[in-house]
Amino acid sequence: MKLDNLQVKSVSVSFGGVQAVRNVSFTVEPGRIVGLIGPNGAGKSSLLNCISGLSRPDAGSVMLGSKELVGLRPDQIAECGLGRVFQHPEVIGELSVLDNLLVACHRNLQFSVLSEMLGLPSVRQAEMKAREEVEKVARLVGLHESLQMNAASLPYGHRKLLELGRVILLGSKLLLLDEPIAGLNEAEIEQLAQLIMTLRSKGNLSVLLVEHNMGLVRQLCDEAVVLDAGQVIAQGTPEQVLNDPKVLLAYLGEVVENA
Amino acid sequence: MIAELIIGGLASGSLYALIAIAIVLVLQATDIPNFAQGEMSMFSTFVAYTILNRYGLSWWGVLPLTLVLAAIQGVIVQQVVIRPLLGAPVLNAVIATLGLNIALHSLAAMIWGAQTHVMQSPLADVPNFKFFGVNVAPDSALSIVVSVAMILIFTLVLRHTRAGIALRAASQNQAVAKLMGIPINRAFAMAWAMGAVAGAVAGLLVAPIVFLDVNMMSPLLIKGFAGAVLGGLGSLGSVFVGGLMLGVIENLMSAYISASFSEALSFLLIIFVLIVAPSGIFGRVKTKKV
Amino acid sequence: MMTQASPATRFLTIKNSMLGLLGIFAIVASQFGGGYMVYLINLVCIFTLVSIGLNLLVGFSGQISLGHAGFFAIGAYASGLLGKNLDMPFWLSIPLGSMVATAIGALIALPALRLKNLYLAIATLGFGIVTQKLIFEWRAFTGGGGGLQVPLPKFADYDLSDGRHMFWAILFCLVIGAWMANKVAHGRTGRALAMLRESEVAAGCLGIRISHYKVIAFALSAFYAAIAGGLYAYLVRYINPESFNTNMSIMFLAMIVIGGMGSIPGALMGAAFYVIVPELLRGFKEAPGLVFGLSLVAVMVLMPTGLIGIWRKFEAKKS
Repeated sequence: MKLDNLQVKSVSVSFGGVQAVRNVSFTVEPGRIVGLIGPNGAGKSSLLNCISGLSRPDAGSVMLGSKELVGLRPDQIAECGLGRVFQHPEVIGELSVLDNLLVACHRNLQFSVLSEMLGLPSVRQAEMKAREEVEKVARLVGLHESLQMNAASLPYGHRKLLELGRVILLGSKLLLLDEPIAGLNEAEIEQLAQLIMTLRSKGNLSVLLVEHNMGLVRQLCDEAVVLDAGQVIAQGTPEQVLNDPKVLLAYLGEVVENA
Repeated sequence: MIAELIIGGLASGSLYALIAIAIVLVLQATDIPNFAQGEMSMFSTFVAYTILNRYGLSWWGVLPLTLVLAAIQGVIVQQVVIRPLLGAPVLNAVIATLGLNIALHSLAAMIWGAQTHVMQSPLADVPNFKFFGVNVAPDSALSIVVSVAMILIFTLVLRHTRAGIALRAASQNQAVAKLMGIPINRAFAMAWAMGAVAGAVAGLLVAPIVFLDVNMMSPLLIKGFAGAVLGGLGSLGSVFVGGLMLGVIENLMSAYISASFSEALSFLLIIFVLIVAPSGIFGRVKTKKV
Repeated sequence: MMTQASPATRFLTIKNSMLGLLGIFAIVASQFGGGYMVYLINLVCIFTLVSIGLNLLVGFSGQISLGHAGFFAIGAYASGLLGKNLDMPFWLSIPLGSMVATAIGALIALPALRLKNLYLAIATLGFGIVTQKLIFEWRAFTGGGGGLQVPLPKFADYDLSDGRHMFWAILFCLVIGAWMANKVAHGRTGRALAMLRESEVAAGCLGIRISHYKVIAFALSAFYAAIAGGLYAYLVRYINPESFNTNMSIMFLAMIVIGGMGSIPGALMGAAFYVIVPELLRGFKEAPGLVFGLSLVAVMVLMPTGLIGIWRKFEAKKS
């Protein structure tokens, strides 16, 4: 998949009378890491949900390259190259880490249910290829020792790595990361940050990152977009944005971590 | 003619509404559909019947005792069956209550046998009266009056008593309620007690009309669920209306389309309504944060 | 690199050995046991097929169905009618009849796409009731309450109406059915269904077409129930709508719950439980109901992973 830019244009979302997102516009250029920050309730999650197709905006458009994403189902949006990593990892406890990663391997596993039921050799070959890919990605994210483990026994930090592994296997070119380091300790945070930067350069990805941790934003992001009460109040480099008086005002009353 | 059909439909619908109320009391509070509600009601009614006959009390004398026993029944079911399933998927509770349904049915058959009994009505001496020119049995009218009364009473309890408010808090968000010091377990036990009491009232009112036997409530349970779903599970009022509507629709379909298919048609109608409005006619979906 | 045990040792696990022993027992008992024992073994195999299919829907995909007796009935009646009215041999009428049920299953999935939990339970409950009622009322076609006489199951000129001979056909279907279900469960579809159950939202964002897989789950479970229904029809040779009621649907659910959801050996255990318990309690009229009901409650409260869960814990402790 080629690398396109993500253009959010004048998106507005409301839920039950509450305006969660108001006329938000910004762009994620190919290969850039953009941070989406703002106090709680600013509308960041609502915006992510819109972009990934879980909800529809009332107005505006979301374009990936030349393709309009609004109106598409989440699975269609995923096929376009958008990979969402949720705040709370969803893993299938009873299955192995390997199987959990295989869930994301659609492109290799294109065959009918009937072929599957008949156990045709083409199915077996496709599965083997998919497994090889999973092993490669598992090595990349650092999970290759845990492949045979039950996902239920994975520690929290590793579950996040699993989710990241999945979107890589999906072939995503744009990662939507929702508070990726929430719940991780310092070592794990550093590991994840390094991983994201490696993915960006090696895998030629773009990243849209929702974060509260300003240190991480400074470290990772090329740009930051600040939302407050559903509106964009600042855009620019992390340095510019974090010194903007409007941004500081928005965060007053909130604990700003590692500013 | 149509007045007769509508009023007749309201009469049968009132029975569905009674059960629907019992179901939704528990469903709203604990998110669990109690598929054992029918047999729990039947059981309480048989107990009342036994006490009536053995100790020669009047119907009104038996009532408070029955309600207390029903409340205990609700608490026991919640503690033994439901409480261990807190946090597990809803499917587990559905299956558990289905199992309880079957078990109670068999137990009742073992204790009271397969015969049909005549259950005394509280309004035994009240004659039929006319409503819009149609003959109405006082038992049916009583069902409607009692349904409305129950809705009012339970709504008052839920809104204006400490226990009721605590229950609503617990059902909205268990974690937060716990942090606020609300005894979740006690709140849920209370919800199930209320549901069981409503169910017992339903049974006591249904029995004089359809005659008391162990199979009395099985068809009504399904209709009660169907009516509740039709009206929307948002409030006691909406399931009440849903139950009545189901009764009327069934009666009308029976007369104008086909008597034997009326039940099946009603279900098709409900499925159709659900496709168009997944949370019922008046329902509102509980939204979850992603 | 993962080490691979040789194919032989991988095959000879305790589980497979036990299944093998059970198979041998079933074969011997069916050929040399009394007529009634043969009947029971045939029933267990038929209901295991139902359980395997229902497992794909309920155990794997996490959907609720309170109306699967409907698919069982459609399978039974469709194959019986094809055999009776068109003189079709059973080995043709059963698969064809099951396609009818599968198509209906796929159709049923469509409203199911929007419904969840209680609403889905009510809708499937409605399906079961409507199906039973339709069969009952369509007297001219199905024989209504009077029932339907199903012709002899014949393979070429060979008469299979003896339970001992029908057993081979039933066993054949069971083995193939279990093998195919195993392939589905451990492959892409099984994983997608499991992800669907875990979180529809996350599944969608992973590129899984939710509607597609829900339809597959419903259609497959309907297919298995219908094949089982067809075999049942040719086994008992006389079917009537009264037996395909809501209680049977609930019993189907009970089978997979008690046996252990999401597992094929569990399906077998559940089916065995369903058939054998009423036999053991024959003298006591209401006892089977009580036992089933209490078992359902007990399993859910104490051992949600069912009988197979107890077995697996035992296996885990040993290793």
